[in-house]
Amino acid sequence: MRLALWWLGRAVSAAATLLGVSILIFAAVRMMPGGFAETILGPFATADQKAELADRYGLDQSVFVQYGHWLAAVARGDFGVSMISREPVVSELWARLPVTGQLTLFSVLIATLVGVPLGVLTAVRARRAAVGRLLSGLGVSVPEFVLGSLVVFLFSRYALGLPAGGYDNVRSLVLPSLVLSFFAISITARTTRDAVMGVLVEPYVTAAVARGESPWFIIRHHVLRNAAIPVVTLLATITAYLLGGALIVEYVFNLPGIGSYVVQAVGRRDYAVVQAGVLLAATVFIVLNLLVDLVVGLIDPRLGVTSKGRRA
Amino acid sequence: MRHRLLAVPLAAAVLVTSACSAQETSTTGGSTAKAGYVATVDDSLPAGGTLDVELPIDIGAATGLDPQLADVASSWQLMSLVYETLVTVGPDFAVQPALAASWENPSPTKYVFRLRDDVFFSNGRAMTADDVVGSLQRLLASQSVWRGQLGPVKSVTKVDDKTVDVELTTAYTPFLAALANVPAAVLPMKEINEKSVDVTKTMLGTGPFKVDSHRQDVSWAFGKNDKYWSDGEPRLDGVNVTIATEEAARVASLQSGKASVATLGNVDSKSMLAGASGVEVLSQATTDFYYLMLNTQVSGSKFADPRVRKAINIALDREQISSVALGGQGKPTGVTPTGLPGACDPAGLPSATAGAEEAKKLLAEAGATNLTFTLSIFSTAPAPAVAQVIQQNLEQVGITVKIEQMDEASWAGKVYGAVPATFDAALSWFAGYADAGMVTKWWNPDVAVFNKGFMKSDPALSSAIDKAVVLPAGDARTAALAEVCTKVDEDAQMLPLVTRPSTVAYRTDAASVGLYATEGYGNALRLIADFRKKSA
Repeated sequence: MRLALWWLGRAVSAAATLLGVSILIFAAVRMMPGGFAETILGPFATADQKAELADRYGLDQSVFVQYGHWLAAVARGDFGVSMISREPVVSELWARLPVTGQLTLFSVLIATLVGVPLGVLTAVRARRAAVGRLLSGLGVSVPEFVLGSLVVFLFSRYALGLPAGGYDNVRSLVLPSLVLSFFAISITARTTRDAVMGVLVEPYVTAAVARGESPWFIIRHHVLRNAAIPVVTLLATITAYLLGGALIVEYVFNLPGIGSYVVQAVGRRDYAVVQAGVLLAATVFIVLNLLVDLVVGLIDPRLGVTSKGRRA
Repeated sequence: MRHRLLAVPLAAAVLVTSACSAQETSTTGGSTAKAGYVATVDDSLPAGGTLDVELPIDIGAATGLDPQLADVASSWQLMSLVYETLVTVGPDFAVQPALAASWENPSPTKYVFRLRDDVFFSNGRAMTADDVVGSLQRLLASQSVWRGQLGPVKSVTKVDDKTVDVELTTAYTPFLAALANVPAAVLPMKEINEKSVDVTKTMLGTGPFKVDSHRQDVSWAFGKNDKYWSDGEPRLDGVNVTIATEEAARVASLQSGKASVATLGNVDSKSMLAGASGVEVLSQATTDFYYLMLNTQVSGSKFADPRVRKAINIALDREQISSVALGGQGKPTGVTPTGLPGACDPAGLPSATAGAEEAKKLLAEAGATNLTFTLSIFSTAPAPAVAQVIQQNLEQVGITVKIEQMDEASWAGKVYGAVPATFDAALSWFAGYADAGMVTKWWNPDVAVFNKGFMKSDPALSSAIDKAVVLPAGDARTAALAEVCTKVDEDAQMLPLVTRPSTVAYRTDAASVGLYATEGYGNALRLIADFRKKSA
């Protein structure tokens, strides 16, 4: 019952957040300088052409009416039609989802598989701390577009064996995923290191050492689980960040993903695409946070749900 | 010593020989080109294969794929793979037959076109005179900007199955040049009228290729039109076009061999690709040109006084803009684009012959000695570099320019979104087209209504523009065009600056390409029907 209450509360909160996001994005795209008519019809467009376009997409109605129509359509699963391609936005998002989804997934996997061991290593081996700090510093200070451009140049100029642009198959995502995960690796490693160091001084770890348990056993059974909560929370945040960062990497590597689609739509004031893209990103973010809450509860049962349906 | 004595005349002979032959051919990297071309196709290569091309931008307007409503060169370029016109432009802008085998001009206001009898749309249906008449009538009835460029067309009539008459109300010299661009393409009118084809959503034409598939802003796959009328063309079996917005991505694709041909926007791309093996970069002159807009219509305009505009015009160093911002590949121009037959010499314009002292004097007379204004530009290269040179030029005469850089949509909203427009000054470029009189129309805001927000019409200038498009090619028209140039220079509400070069790069181990030395409609793929793939 308490868990059901908690889920209900989270669902209501998520719905309210999405509604807020929908209002914000709807207002924001219409407040951007440069109208849709000048942008997507070009300077040569006549007044009649502009009026026809506004009529076709209901852009001549008040913003409140437009929002109401859009929200009702979204509730039915209809995200509208792109003013450029005249195709349903959902079908294009669906076609691009595999690229962005795989890119983000691979990046999170790399960040986890490299960042967590690196963080543990630098926490338990003081001599490796300097290396960890150096890598972390590099990761947070080199922007994706700089690293991406460098990688694209090197791999295209010197034929180093991996495709450096475009999307043909999963192999095309190796370099973009590595670039996108670079920042995430350093943050994950740093957070893991801090969390592990925090746990290493706990009495139960000292007791385990006193019992003569092997270092690997202690790390696996006593340290990792207790250090995992901040790391799991971070990975959820990072996943959302990587979804955002993917648009830069998609641009640099010319990948036909959702990020590049939405960025192009912003440049063209293609309202339906921008609204759908941002709403999708917000939904992913909210769902991820719900999942984190669930996973955190599984990792540490002490963080249960109170009788009022709140986390302890 | 004897060797040295021999070497001097030998070297001289080589130089003379080279100079003579350079008039007929030019060599760029690995390709040798005829006069009027920067690259010509190696005819000895076999046909076949699919060429991978990368372009920065897709056809991306709310008007869809309708060629008659396409108003930007990037759309014309892609559409030209599928659509064709009655006539086309050759090197140096000579009008040549295309779907019309020939034409006559029995009077200054009448054109009689004899159609080829072997033209088919890619769906297999033969092109008829009805398609030609219907297409032109559809264009004239549309809201296309090209309707104005086509001139004062009075009627389009089918004489017989292979003959079409076009009557103009008055003589209009750019008519054939305007007819040579994609918006005047012959459309499948039977299918359009039957509504079996929606040309806003797909392309069906008589051109060398047909559309196999398209994903907006991602890619195109073009297959060969097997019923194409030109013998042996297209040489390629197909063309795959990838849209790669980032310049670096296109450069990378060329280097890695993923793309065989790509168009580039940055004039520095040649140096970026300098060490890449097997990549040749070609610079094509175009008639497109940058221009500076000075807003005279906003309340309290800083440019209402013609002396201020004139001073700015004098202070601009167009040679410097070309050399610094465009790598020396652009050319100073008046309103008639440099490179077109009959275009005026920008060096002879009043602003070019006056000096900085004259500019300072004019500013002092106008009480604008500490003039400061904002120059609004879009962020696409090389516009920021052009703006920086303008800023430095004007600083020499005491004018402070603040550069406001924004994305293209914001820029378009600021420049064209309101009447009067809210900007001080703005930088942009026009396609220069294929006749020296065509682009001059944009200097009459009563015709180019999109300019009404920031410039007022000058009756004398408008009259000069109208006169120049009526006169037949020859000395009188050249003089009339020179007069238009002078009046635009003096009016100085929109200041022509320098032509905008086009850069095309290709892999010498994968493709053999042809490219005119100068292009009027921004179509780097104009000769693609003859391109070859080397590994085919």
